[in-house]
Amino acid sequence: MANAMNGKLERILLRVQKPARYTGGEYNEVIKEKSEVDVRFAMCFPDTYEIGMSNLGLRILYGVMNEAKGVWCERVFAPWGDMEAELRKAQIALYALESGDSLREFDFVGFSIGYEMAYTNVLNMLDLAEIPIHSADRGEGDPIIVAGGTCVYNGEPLADFIDIFSLGEGEDVTLEMIQLYREGREQGWSRREFLRQAAQVPGLYVPSLYEITYHEDGTIQKITNTAGAPERITKRIVTDFDKSYFPVKTIIPSTEIVHDRVMLEVFRGCIRGCRFCQAGYCYRPVRPRSVDVLVQQGIEACKDSGYQEMTLSSLSTSDYRPLTDLCDGLLEYCDPRNINLNLPSLRADGFSMSVMQRLQRARKTSITFAPEAGTQRLRNTINKNVTEQDLLQSCRTAFEGGCSAVKLYFMLGLPTETDEDVIGIADLAQKVYWTWKEYAVSKSRGVRITVSTSFFVPKPFTPFQWEAQISMEEYHRRVELLNHAIKNKSIQYNWHEMNTSYIEAVLARGDRKLGAVLEAVWKDGGHLDAWGEYFSFERWMNAFEQTGIDPDFYARRERTKEEALPWDMIDIGVHTNYLWREREQAYRSVITPDCRVKCMGCGANCLLPNGVCDEDRR
Amino acid sequence: MAKPKNRLLFSKNGRACYISHLDLMATFQRVFLRSGVPIWQTQGFNKHAYVSIALPLSVGYSSDCEILEFNLGDDMPMEEVPARMNASMPEGIQVLACYAIETPMKKLDEIDWTVTIVYDNGVPEQAIQEITALLGQESLVIQKKSKKSKKCYTEIDLIPMIYLWEMQLSEGGIQVHARLMAQNPGLNPSIVINTICEQCPDAAPDFVRYHRNEIFDGDGKVFR
Repeated sequence: MANAMNGKLERILLRVQKPARYTGGEYNEVIKEKSEVDVRFAMCFPDTYEIGMSNLGLRILYGVMNEAKGVWCERVFAPWGDMEAELRKAQIALYALESGDSLREFDFVGFSIGYEMAYTNVLNMLDLAEIPIHSADRGEGDPIIVAGGTCVYNGEPLADFIDIFSLGEGEDVTLEMIQLYREGREQGWSRREFLRQAAQVPGLYVPSLYEITYHEDGTIQKITNTAGAPERITKRIVTDFDKSYFPVKTIIPSTEIVHDRVMLEVFRGCIRGCRFCQAGYCYRPVRPRSVDVLVQQGIEACKDSGYQEMTLSSLSTSDYRPLTDLCDGLLEYCDPRNINLNLPSLRADGFSMSVMQRLQRARKTSITFAPEAGTQRLRNTINKNVTEQDLLQSCRTAFEGGCSAVKLYFMLGLPTETDEDVIGIADLAQKVYWTWKEYAVSKSRGVRITVSTSFFVPKPFTPFQWEAQISMEEYHRRVELLNHAIKNKSIQYNWHEMNTSYIEAVLARGDRKLGAVLEAVWKDGGHLDAWGEYFSFERWMNAFEQTGIDPDFYARRERTKEEALPWDMIDIGVHTNYLWREREQAYRSVITPDCRVKCMGCGANCLLPNGVCDEDRR
Repeated sequence: MAKPKNRLLFSKNGRACYISHLDLMATFQRVFLRSGVPIWQTQGFNKHAYVSIALPLSVGYSSDCEILEFNLGDDMPMEEVPARMNASMPEGIQVLACYAIETPMKKLDEIDWTVTIVYDNGVPEQAIQEITALLGQESLVIQKKSKKSKKCYTEIDLIPMIYLWEMQLSEGGIQVHARLMAQNPGLNPSIVINTICEQCPDAAPDFVRYHRNEIFDGDGKVFR
């Protein structure tokens, strides 16, 4: 990093917290000879190093690009406030960790965006890199700004700032885009021509080629594709998950990060269809990796990293059919080497509990479940197929095994929620307490039951995408209701702060008009909004007022079936009609069976070449 | 706990300077495991590779003489260790030697430093004379923050802890060759610099780099 490691940076690094976040140089960092590189890609994560380096998607794309000849992908993270102030003061433009070169020197600057509260960071990072924040203001010499990740299924609030959105899984399409860029350079295409050509690549959405017109009431009248761009853009997926790239040899940070362990991706997609869950619909169809491939990847990743902890990652790991075989295969390697195997995202059922007990080398003192709703009726409405019996049985097994703490996660403000459902949360926690009284092996230490509620945010591409978020006053009332209903001193209640969830609800289903709001918030000093230290509700409310935009229009308005939605040009494979049907089933509190019990024809199978998802590959 | 019987001599330069002491220990634990160098693991609840790094280096300092103690397993010759580990290192850290412990750590008495004092607008005219006069006194007592003392600080005399402080004009500043007491108590050269800043404000530098060159025992012999 010869470039940025000049005298200026050397002085700054000694004044900021955790300077190792800003230096690069970690084991397995990829350094390439510039003379052998013809395309440079700056992979930006709009949050801190510790969060960004824990992101598996970033590691996958870093590996995919750097394995390609002539392409050099480097990493960039958002600086913490102290570092940002120092960089601005010393007039050092945001640089990539590998080379230390300023982002302006790259061909592509790509953002991986996983949550709405990172939007202001995207603007801030572009500005720190001295790149014009508006797509329209960028010229021939500026990098192409790309964005991917879960948020960009509806990236409309960022449409003014991003040149190309990459929809779905980026393993293949990123390289196709780079290839197209090379072709354009050879042919002497203008920036505009490159973007027009990029729009022809399946999965790439160029927002500037779409014109949006609005009705007087602010809803969308028409989305018009121009310059030959397709009417709808279908997300990309990796079809053969066994053959797709997985980073077994990956960067091992020299400073502590959030997920400091080997991550093994067991499958993509989810069979469950919880109706509030965006990931559950957007990552369809389910594609598992085979046990043999996973065991081999797990062993290689441990060997190359020196980590003593491994975690199996997916949306619902208990749904991996050969989970027992996989655990046995991994334990054979891990056990003699004192490597811990973790299984997050387990369901509260007997099978999961037995697998977990098998993995437990030490007694587990704490266990976490997410029933999401307090009554069976509401759980049916959201299609969270966990029964009270399953949950209590799982708690019993845990208590009998010496567990003395249970964490329960719920949402408040789910569609159709009544006071009875809210109080049901307290009742359920109380039943967990009774289960402990009856079955705990030792009661001397007591039990800690933690109930946490978050404020439900309706997301695009879910059956609840047409729903209104409840008001903050109402959320607050329900929090109070629940707080009073919990009387047991062993049960602790935490509730999520509501302001962030409201802004999240505005942005999640936002349209292009919100670009002005993002810009106003950022200009007023907004950045790192996912962090309590930096988030300011007042700043957001001021920005809405200043831009004449009513946030309730986005967060608190129920949409009709006929209304054109800002993300209508995006196709995730799941039909909108299917989502609407699921919404109707929700209102009837009718459960939809998971994909394995019965295919309900959501449409995502058509993304696969043979049209069949989740084949039994055992 | 088994007493460590092996040492690594390693250097820490460039980008690795910003790795903190705790992070460095975690890094070494992983490097041992990923390089396949057999290391004794603690036998507790959470088994992990046992490593101990002597005289922690401050963040931002560089060094060519860091010492790490551990227990090498039986099935690897010591001379194989440096090459194995260096293949799995982050940039800037290099294992220079692996050997059996012969001298106890308490014999490590002196650290040889290069301190680079940088002035952005040229070296102030009287700087060298002022610093020479300051450090040429019989004693130079300063207050040092202390967690143990009731007063929250202790008084220490710097002079007996400075064995050598040779200054030479260099491009953009002063290059100091220093030999300072290593431990019980050790003297961090930044304390000397801070004292200069306080007592000779005209000679206060704009930036300072610290580098450990070598470690010595009380007889002036290189410590290993």
